[in-house]
Amino acid sequence: MASGSMLPMRIVVCVKEVLDPDAVGAYALSGGLVVGEDGKTLTQTTIPRLMNAYDEQAIEAALRIREGGTECTVSVVSVGDDLTTLLRHAVALGVDDVHEIRPPEDEPDCHVIASLLGAWIRTSGGADLVLCGRQASDDDQGVVPALLGEMLGMPVVAVARAVEITERASVMVTTVTPDGDETAEAALPAVVTISNELGEPRYPTMPMRMAARRVNPEVVEPDSISEGADLAPRVRLVRQYVPTVKGECVLIEGDGPAAQATRLVEALVGDRVLQGRP
Amino acid sequence: MSAPVVVCTWQGAGDDVAEETAAALTLGRRVAAESGTELRWLVLGPAPEDLVETARSHGVTVVDTFGDARLESPGPDAVVEAVARYSASRPAALIVFNQHFGTRFVVPRVAGRIDAAVVMNCTDVELAESGGFLVTAAAYGGDTRAVYAPDPERTCVVALLANAVLPEPVETPAQAPPVEDVDIDVAGVEERVRIVEQARSEGPRLEDAEIIVAGGRGLGSPENFKLVEELAETLGGMAGASRPIVDEGWTDSAHQVGLTGRITRPALYVAAGISGATQHMAGCSAAKTIVAINTDPDAAIFRYAKYGIVGDCLEVLPEMIRAVREAGVAR
Ligand SMILES: Cc1cc2nc3c(=O)[nH]c(=O)nc-3n(C[C@H](O)[C@H](O)[C@H](O)COP(=O)(O)OP(=O)(O)OC[C@H]3O[C@@H](n4cnc5c(N)ncnc54)[C@H](O)[C@@H]3O)c2cc1C
Repeated sequence: MASGSMLPMRIVVCVKEVLDPDAVGAYALSGGLVVGEDGKTLTQTTIPRLMNAYDEQAIEAALRIREGGTECTVSVVSVGDDLTTLLRHAVALGVDDVHEIRPPEDEPDCHVIASLLGAWIRTSGGADLVLCGRQASDDDQGVVPALLGEMLGMPVVAVARAVEITERASVMVTTVTPDGDETAEAALPAVVTISNELGEPRYPTMPMRMAARRVNPEVVEPDSISEGADLAPRVRLVRQYVPTVKGECVLIEGDGPAAQATRLVEALVGDRVLQGRP
Repeated sequence: MSAPVVVCTWQGAGDDVAEETAAALTLGRRVAAESGTELRWLVLGPAPEDLVETARSHGVTVVDTFGDARLESPGPDAVVEAVARYSASRPAALIVFNQHFGTRFVVPRVAGRIDAAVVMNCTDVELAESGGFLVTAAAYGGDTRAVYAPDPERTCVVALLANAVLPEPVETPAQAPPVEDVDIDVAGVEERVRIVEQARSEGPRLEDAEIIVAGGRGLGSPENFKLVEELAETLGGMAGASRPIVDEGWTDSAHQVGLTGRITRPALYVAAGISGATQHMAGCSAAKTIVAINTDPDAAIFRYAKYGIVGDCLEVLPEMIRAVREAGVAR
């Protein structure tokens, strides 16, 4: 680990490529969301692929730490094929280096992904801070950061809106809870997951984007990092389907908003959802 | 007999809703019955008052408790270690948790610690023909359902979404199950994350509200959120919001309803200028009555609503405030 010594800290951000959730939502709304012949993948080729938004915010959190004066490097890593565009976006945002780990199987599950990320972190110099998005917007599982924490023996602080490195080699995290913000501290190394409350990530500048075009991610073969690791998936996706929502909405008509509002309140009183004046 | 099904509840971390405990026990009982095994109920934290009666009415075979103060208000590291050791001493086929803020980030760590298969956002568990389980989970915020087959050689850990399973007590309960003390001491477990400043709950929580009036981007501008707050107040309820307007700072994140916000279950949910994206509906579709006000007759929200007004919420909300005042209504 770099912490405690004079070496700069190393921040590793784990990112995932997903189908644009807004486009998926739009298809779902229009009834056009279709699962392909394999029974599990969404086939709309017009849905763009992009970086999971929370992961982009995790990069933003790392860059804010660096800009805050902490001496550190920011590495971005992802598991998958054809991630050059995705990872060049990370470079354009301002990270130091990017890495693409090839998946060993067609459908790696969270366990396989976490094992590969963990193995890569271990064999590439370790990490003082691992940042992840709170969950991926495709499967919504949010499991990988937790598994990473367990595998690397690091504490996990979830759902952060702000992350700071302290003088005493710890991380100070503002987390979002149902009861409001909480401040938590953990000794480094640690895993922290980032939520949308962190705020908008920066937009890459044109010169940064141009420069990023010349960068290729380092490609990592799984065999080179995961010797002895158990890369058998713990779960397999067997089917995906689009659930039906049955609509039985009664539209309240009437002569203008005043009449409609009055009728609506009457209907709610009639259903005993609201109690009228006796 | 094959390995048991274990339902693990953790009061204090959010498992205070009797209905959610009952839902998890209902799912657990069904799976246990189908696989011809026993249903155990592992209780973390303080035991609910009606522990034995609840267990009996849900056909629990054995209740496992940490019978003393060891796990009165456990931190996440203690819980992960406690469940891991419990699981090592009594290997389970399936462990069911309720999914809410307190368990969302702990359940996957439990799975990692015991090298189990894990599925979050679970809506159902069935037995596969080939043996093993089939676990259905919500994906894409609810736009799709994914069905996963966990490795049958391992324990499977699932986190059950609120309102996914209808609680059903057994018709004729057998006798009360024994309550056994789990002989596991986690007092020595050190919490690695130190809470420097605890969240201060500011008044009532959306999760507990009986009436919620929520606003979205259709409000047009930040000052119009006042209309939402005023109707909420007039109804004796609370104000909610969709994520975009929280991100824009029209109101703070304590009001965000949805997949990554509050999961609510009010009697009445009024959605004004909200399109009804699945990620939003994940936080309010359990409402008994949803009312939608939207200018777009094709908005998804109308598919979930019982009553709808196709119209401008800036015109309808003030009229609703008036109509509610005139009718002198309350919950
Ligand atoms: C991983 C992930 C997690 C997410 N989590 C959440 C979450 O927790 N909560 C959440 O809310 N969202 C969440 N979202 C975002 C979600 O997908 C939607 O983008 C969001 O809910 C839309 O908010 P909205 O309905 O306010 O805005 P829009 O979708 O823009 O809808 C505005 C609606 O207002 C209507 N309208 C416009 N003008 C008027 C008017 N004058 N009167 C009446 N109606 C009008 C329009 O017809 C439209 O239907 C998440 C997204 C992702 C990808």
